Amino acid sequence: MRIVVEKRDNKSKSAAVLIPLASFAISLILGAIVLLASRSNPLQAYSAMLDGAFGNARRFQYTIVESIPLLMCGLGVGVAFRLKFWNIGAEGQYVWGAIGITWVMQFWKFLPVPMLLPIGLLVGMTLGAVWAGVPGYLKAQWSVDETLTTLMLNYVAIGLAEYLYISAWKAPLGNMGTPEFPHEAWLPPVWGKIHSGLYIALAFVVLLWFLLYKTRWGFELNMIGKNPRAARYQGVSIKRNIVLAMLLSGAICGLAGSMNTAAIAHRLTKGVDGGYGFTGIIIAWMAGLNPFASILVAIVMAALTTGADALQIAMKLPESMGEVLQGLVLIPLLAGSIFVEHKLKVIKKEAA
Amino acid sequence: MKKLSVLLVLLLLSTTLMFAQGGKEAAPAADEPFKVGVIYITSPGDMGYSYMHDQGTKAAEAYFGDKIEVIRMENVPENDASARAMEQLIDAGAKIVFANSYNYQDYMLQVAKENPDVYFEHCSGYLSNENMSNYFGRMYQMRYLSGMIAAKMSPSGKLGYVGAFNTPEVVRGINAFALGARAVNPKATTTVVWTNTWYDPSLERQGAIALLDQGIDVIAQHQDTTEPAKAAIERGKYAVGYNADFRSVVGSDNVLVSPMWDWGNYMIPAIESAMNGTWKSQAYWGGLEDKMVHLSPISPLVPKDFQDVVMAKQAEIANGTWDVFWGPLKDNTGAVRQQAGGKLADDKMLTMDWFVEGVIGSVK
Amino acid sequence: MNQQTPQIPVVRMEHITKHFPGVLANDDVSLELYPGQVLALLGENGAGKSTLMNMLVGLYRPDGGSIYIRGELADIHSPQDSMALGVGMIHQEFMLVGNMTVAENIVLGMRDLPFVPKIDEIRARITELSKRYGLQVDPDAVIHDLSVGEQQRVEILKLVYRGADILILDEPTAVLTPGESRDLNKIIKKMLSEGKSAIFITHKMDEVIEFSHKVQVLRKGKTVNTCDTAGVTPQDLANMMVGRDILFSLDRCAYNPGGVKLKVDHVTVVNPIGSRPFLDDVSLEIHRGEIIGIAGVAGNGQTQLTEAITGLLHCTSGKILIDGKDMTNSTPLQVIRAGVSHIPADRGANGVVGDMSVGDNLAMKKYRTSEISRGAVIKRSFLRAFADKLIEAFVIKTPDQDTCVKFLSGGNIQKTILAREIDSCGGVLIAVYPSRGLDVGATEAVRQNLILQRDKGNAVLLVSEELDELQMVADKIAVMFEGRIMGIRDVKETNTEELGMMMAGAAGVRRNA
Repeated sequence: MRIVVEKRDNKSKSAAVLIPLASFAISLILGAIVLLASRSNPLQAYSAMLDGAFGNARRFQYTIVESIPLLMCGLGVGVAFRLKFWNIGAEGQYVWGAIGITWVMQFWKFLPVPMLLPIGLLVGMTLGAVWAGVPGYLKAQWSVDETLTTLMLNYVAIGLAEYLYISAWKAPLGNMGTPEFPHEAWLPPVWGKIHSGLYIALAFVVLLWFLLYKTRWGFELNMIGKNPRAARYQGVSIKRNIVLAMLLSGAICGLAGSMNTAAIAHRLTKGVDGGYGFTGIIIAWMAGLNPFASILVAIVMAALTTGADALQIAMKLPESMGEVLQGLVLIPLLAGSIFVEHKLKVIKKEAA
Repeated sequence: MKKLSVLLVLLLLSTTLMFAQGGKEAAPAADEPFKVGVIYITSPGDMGYSYMHDQGTKAAEAYFGDKIEVIRMENVPENDASARAMEQLIDAGAKIVFANSYNYQDYMLQVAKENPDVYFEHCSGYLSNENMSNYFGRMYQMRYLSGMIAAKMSPSGKLGYVGAFNTPEVVRGINAFALGARAVNPKATTTVVWTNTWYDPSLERQGAIALLDQGIDVIAQHQDTTEPAKAAIERGKYAVGYNADFRSVVGSDNVLVSPMWDWGNYMIPAIESAMNGTWKSQAYWGGLEDKMVHLSPISPLVPKDFQDVVMAKQAEIANGTWDVFWGPLKDNTGAVRQQAGGKLADDKMLTMDWFVEGVIGSVK
Repeated sequence: MNQQTPQIPVVRMEHITKHFPGVLANDDVSLELYPGQVLALLGENGAGKSTLMNMLVGLYRPDGGSIYIRGELADIHSPQDSMALGVGMIHQEFMLVGNMTVAENIVLGMRDLPFVPKIDEIRARITELSKRYGLQVDPDAVIHDLSVGEQQRVEILKLVYRGADILILDEPTAVLTPGESRDLNKIIKKMLSEGKSAIFITHKMDEVIEFSHKVQVLRKGKTVNTCDTAGVTPQDLANMMVGRDILFSLDRCAYNPGGVKLKVDHVTVVNPIGSRPFLDDVSLEIHRGEIIGIAGVAGNGQTQLTEAITGLLHCTSGKILIDGKDMTNSTPLQVIRAGVSHIPADRGANGVVGDMSVGDNLAMKKYRTSEISRGAVIKRSFLRAFADKLIEAFVIKTPDQDTCVKFLSGGNIQKTILAREIDSCGGVLIAVYPSRGLDVGATEAVRQNLILQRDKGNAVLLVSEELDELQMVADKIAVMFEGRIMGIRDVKETNTEELGMMMAGAAGVRRNA
């Protein structure tokens, strides 16, 4: 007897629903084994996580707050992924967004205070777009591999931000941070901890859905992503679209950075590279590049982070256990996606 | 995909509602322990800064016994995750929250303003509020003494210092170390490298190696790992520890001495005052006389008579007849920072962004 | 049942049934192959020939029926399983790694290969096998550098090396020159004499007669007829395939060309990695209401000529004019806007986006226009109506317009492209190997449509490697050899012999002398 992986003749619709659910169940079981091994009750641990992520209004708010930059970065990289352009530079683009808004808030003194926030967001977006546009241009013009350029540019951006908040733009009093933005220029809250970045993120969901599924440009991106040669034969400019998609991708990630900075830290400071850009890759992937599905995935990912806090508080488990459980959720979900297109077959060998 | 999304949303909502109902806390019983929240920048397993804090937390647990319950959160990043961690602790019933790293302070101030009935204790910063204190120890006093020992044991007079970030705390420690060294050997120099991390074993080791390659023979450090010290010992050079007693941790007498913390001596009275309602906001900066800091036992490699010299200096600090930043003080560009006959004021020490004579390196 | 061969069949497939979404690909098909025989599997595109053979080599699993190899029930789940039974298939798309050598490709993926292969032994064995069957290839040559015919030989060697004695060839001659086809026939004959047997998928009737002993005709997933090849005529076979009489001559208006529509003026395109340019001083004029055929063995610059015209390839020198307007090195979009339609070679790779729907693929030119879009927004209702109209007009067989194009048969994929390009055609239609791999019915449809465009006054450029097709469809034939045009002849004033000489590079010499 042996087991082989066979391609499904047609994509199964029920499989597309059942497989993620089954994967999720498997990850819960795997997590339960780890929890049991560390002498904790898995049911208690899971309900503590759920409680920690959604248990009361404030926890729910924190989960949503955490999901906003995740959603934005997921949307951003998703645009590039449509072209099979592997933008793993969202983290750097996010950091540029934070740098951009800080630059405006700290140095554009000629602006009236009410203008600081909108202009700051725009500048952050622009810098994120430029930072993404560079690898886009390199790829379009000279076929420079984007995975390497986007990844390396992350470290340049993070290093620059570090230099700025530690030295060049440092607040006179205190350390590892620039001066606080004027209160009037903070991104206003909408409900408790939740800031108005939520509206911006949701607006981008709708905007991207419209752009990608309803417009001629979205149609062209779809063609390029699925068969760039055929797209070129149909008169679609691949170089131009790679650069455009990367500009948009970077703009969204950059906006995520400037939004979050204006809403939470209110300054460029240590911790600006919070990993949202990297988690955004997972979100885009798990959401199948669908903007609406990204909302759900971003909330799940955020809940895993906020819920992990509860493991320490309610279960007295070390912080690393939360990370282990997050990893265990991801692996079966990502691995499970191959079974949407493939199936396992058990072959019983007949007597020869 | 659509169906799946709807299904998952329903699932999420239903469980949320379930927990929103079930999660309501019962009114605290009279004999319920007083809850204390503690937030660490790293894991206490680091044998460094957070480890020493946890020693203080454990001292408090031992002191109060059943009367308190400590909830720890470790590896909390210095961004909005720290605010969330504080809120989660408050949700879990914490009445006093300690946080041990500098960049938590802005988030803590924000959370403190929103939670006026909880006390907040921030370590190493300068911000405070009606319900938020900041506290720290005069570690520079011990740094001075360790600098004396380092210079005594260094044949070349070239000392090295692996620094984390250019915060006043670290700068002050370096200056004190260099002043101590110069008190023993007027030609001693202290060369500084920055790692821009609190905790990164390989980067910190590289920093030490870069110093050792310049012919430096004692490595001091302001880092949370033992790697710089280990790198020095592997080359047969000397090291000065920090936080914990590195001589016993690393197991080598080449670790000359380690300046150490005693956080419990602050945390215990702070918790006690919070419990009985006498808590007051303060900016606390305790030194040797407050038992916030002390020196580890000195390595037997250091001559006994010199150990006595160090102890005599320590006694001067303890009884307040002398302090480290006593004038005249010049920075390493030659500018006078403190006139003779007085000591540097606390606020100048707390915002220190310059190096004294004898330090090779730049704060920026 | 064949009386001369009383042995048990090497392959017996019984009552094979296979469903695909919306399509019954094989419906109770049975098949027998005897040792030393060639069985031709004949049928239109989408008749189920490839599907049937893919089940024999384990790429698909039958929904019903059973397979016997040498009389024993076989359970085949993968090509490895079938290889172990001595059954190997050569697909239309070769499965070779371009930057590896012949020897490396031959042993690649073999299960019993030692961790460090003994390359000398492998080379010796390859040389021995290639001598034995007349399969000349250099074991150390890199696949990139080989011609299509040579690559096919590597594929055959790959199977023989692994001990296959039942060979399945899917449209093997589609990519070959007439000479290479003859060589292939010899190779197969040689193999048969050693007791091997072969199944030959094709839709070319003359090849059936030339290559095979027995022919089995499939139509719409069912066996229509099985008979000995001796004694059947191409006309019989064609009738069996399509179930109606085929028109071998096409209706057309009298040749009455208008003004010059497209002018290629001394165009040279340098090949950045080769010594010889892709195009060497090519000049050509196409008038309105005219079909110019480009003849030549594949790889002599025909595709590059069409790519230079359509803006896909950069011209080093020379000019391309449409309606007298200089379009040299315009972008593909500018060329499309100038009214040029393009049915590219290799339709799967260049002509369609396989993972997008039939409707979307049909709209891939017109989505820019008000027929489908309002400003930057695509109107789905417009697109659906547009696609339904074309599906009906061009008789594209598809379950619905939302089906992914990759699930259609080759002929219907080509009809999808044809529909899109003809619908959007604004004066120039360029068709590159438009009937390659198509069955009789689809081929006829393609040719008739090209002529229709000509009759409407459009300028048509047809690249083909089949002289019959060119002689049937084109008004003038230009022959290309090594990037040059060897001569342009009026169809009525030339013959196969002269064209064949020109294709071999002789005409230019004769003309210039």
